[in-house]
Amino acid sequence: MTDVVLVAGAGGVGKTTLAAGIAVSAATSGRRTLVLTVDPARRLATALGLKRLSNVAHPNPDLEELWAAMLDAGASWEAIARRHAPPEVADRLVASRFFDAIARQFPAGAAYAAAEEMAEQVESGSWDLVVIDTPPSSGGIDFLSAPGQMRSLVGGRALKMLTGGRLPGRKSFFDHATKPALRLMDKVLGGGLLQDVGEFLFDLRHTYDGIEKRSKSIATHFEHAHMVLVTTTDPSPMAEVERFVAERPGNTRVPVIVFNRTLPQEWIGATTTETNRRLVENLARWSQESAHQDAVRSTWRSRHDRLTMVEVPWRSETPNEIEALGSLAEPIWARLGIGD
Amino acid sequence: MSDRLQIVTGKGGVGRSAVTAAIALDAARSGRRVLASAMTDSIGLASHFGLETLGYEPTRIEPNLHAMVVDRAQSLDEYLKMQLGLGKRIPLLPLSRSLEALSETVPGIRDVVTTGKLYHEVRSGNWDLVVADGPPTGQIMSYLRASRVIASLVVSGKAREQADAMTNLLAAPGSSLVMVTLAEELPVTETLEALGELADEELIALRTIFVNRTVEALGVSESVLDDVDDVAVREAGQMHRALYENQKHWRGELPEHVALPLLFGEHDPTAVADRLASAMSS
Repeated sequence: MTDVVLVAGAGGVGKTTLAAGIAVSAATSGRRTLVLTVDPARRLATALGLKRLSNVAHPNPDLEELWAAMLDAGASWEAIARRHAPPEVADRLVASRFFDAIARQFPAGAAYAAAEEMAEQVESGSWDLVVIDTPPSSGGIDFLSAPGQMRSLVGGRALKMLTGGRLPGRKSFFDHATKPALRLMDKVLGGGLLQDVGEFLFDLRHTYDGIEKRSKSIATHFEHAHMVLVTTTDPSPMAEVERFVAERPGNTRVPVIVFNRTLPQEWIGATTTETNRRLVENLARWSQESAHQDAVRSTWRSRHDRLTMVEVPWRSETPNEIEALGSLAEPIWARLGIGD
Repeated sequence: MSDRLQIVTGKGGVGRSAVTAAIALDAARSGRRVLASAMTDSIGLASHFGLETLGYEPTRIEPNLHAMVVDRAQSLDEYLKMQLGLGKRIPLLPLSRSLEALSETVPGIRDVVTTGKLYHEVRSGNWDLVVADGPPTGQIMSYLRASRVIASLVVSGKAREQADAMTNLLAAPGSSLVMVTLAEELPVTETLEALGELADEELIALRTIFVNRTVEALGVSESVLDDVDDVAVREAGQMHRALYENQKHWRGELPEHVALPLLFGEHDPTAVADRLASAMSS
């Protein structure tokens, strides 16, 4: 049985670093662990034994049982098309001038591609644990809704919107394209573009059955996954975590909330007999920041007293060595209680 | 040549909206008529002006300063109908909804249409400066390229006209890009990548690189610091020192830039924008 850890959080909160750290902790405890990462900084990628842009699992040179792979959304989309559409349709899709745009721009696409990769890896039976550093999604950090959004994309949402509600047949769509509303779109877009888009979207529908089936197994993995939500005390990542907690489907596990970059509480209101003016002022500055963090966390705690909260200390420099990553994330790993 | 349009970009979490608001406040307080505009989500920018959201028509924030959001379904509908010469009351399948459907498949179509609204404001003569809270650094190049991509896909029609107008607006003297970053590895790397592509493609001029949340040197030597008895004083000092050194390293990777301060303990969005605006004017 493979355990799954989903690490989610807004951009810039240190999610990728902590996902790597959790994987290091797991591998250190002897579990064969894969971390699927999205866009690691170069030094982190190096520490993980990753070469840039490789979605093949690489063993770590320094830590046995630790493997890492990087998700490449573009390559994954081609794999998705080839997995779920008949070969000649997949060829047409991949060659289309619209394919690249969908691969790079559809907001939930990278998250869905990651979810498929997660499912493939979990079902391979090769791992005790798979840690996923979730890519950004349209609903902010809402990784869980990606399969649904993907189904609605390939299921013809755009076609329905273009014709006003019902999914049209191929023939009726192109008949429709001569009607006033779509003629107006043609006026905006220039002749012919709408026809080409329509052809592409009908081809894309061929992937629907496959993606629907895959979504079901992905949903099962999500239900069993341990969830880690990373935030700082800044308002915008906090808002994303609030939303995630409020909208979490009832059949998924209660997430562990990680407050990253926590300053020492001992600094708050600390008095000192130190005489160096610069050092005293410096403590006062950092003490203010620490007090602010503390107030934000207290408010959170009073509103979500049933959620597990982990505080990860602030580091002036992002840790990039295996050992430092592991010790940073150790308290999170301990709270997950995997294998206890 | 004075500024007419500044598009602000920065990786998520670096304070892009705060810097956008601060640029607008600073310019307005020096006597220019300024419009601050959110491109997509208006919540971030609105909070720095003490509001919950922004409307799709410019609303007054303070003397010389108005703010709006360009990408809202209603504004797009009205804008498109106006562009097509249709009456506002004509009951039609909402054009913005069709556009939304297409924007997943046709790269840049939405960017081009929303920039059309911005273009309209720049040309209106109502403003000395329009400051846009733009897309994140990872998407800025595809945003800036959008009009050329559309021009290659679409040979005629309104979208083509808009695309050409956008290309010209971005390239015009007075239009520029402002980049916001932190002195950390990932944001600096992204900024450098975007700068490289920007230099190659000449889509828009670079105005300023702001490095947000910087700290000044502690001003106490390492040997003095290590001998301090008080643990909190010593550790706060050591942390500040390490942070300063790390920031100095990453700032060294960047070309000429303007440093904005880390505001210790200050997180109220309007106060943050105010203090950054003061930092810009000094």
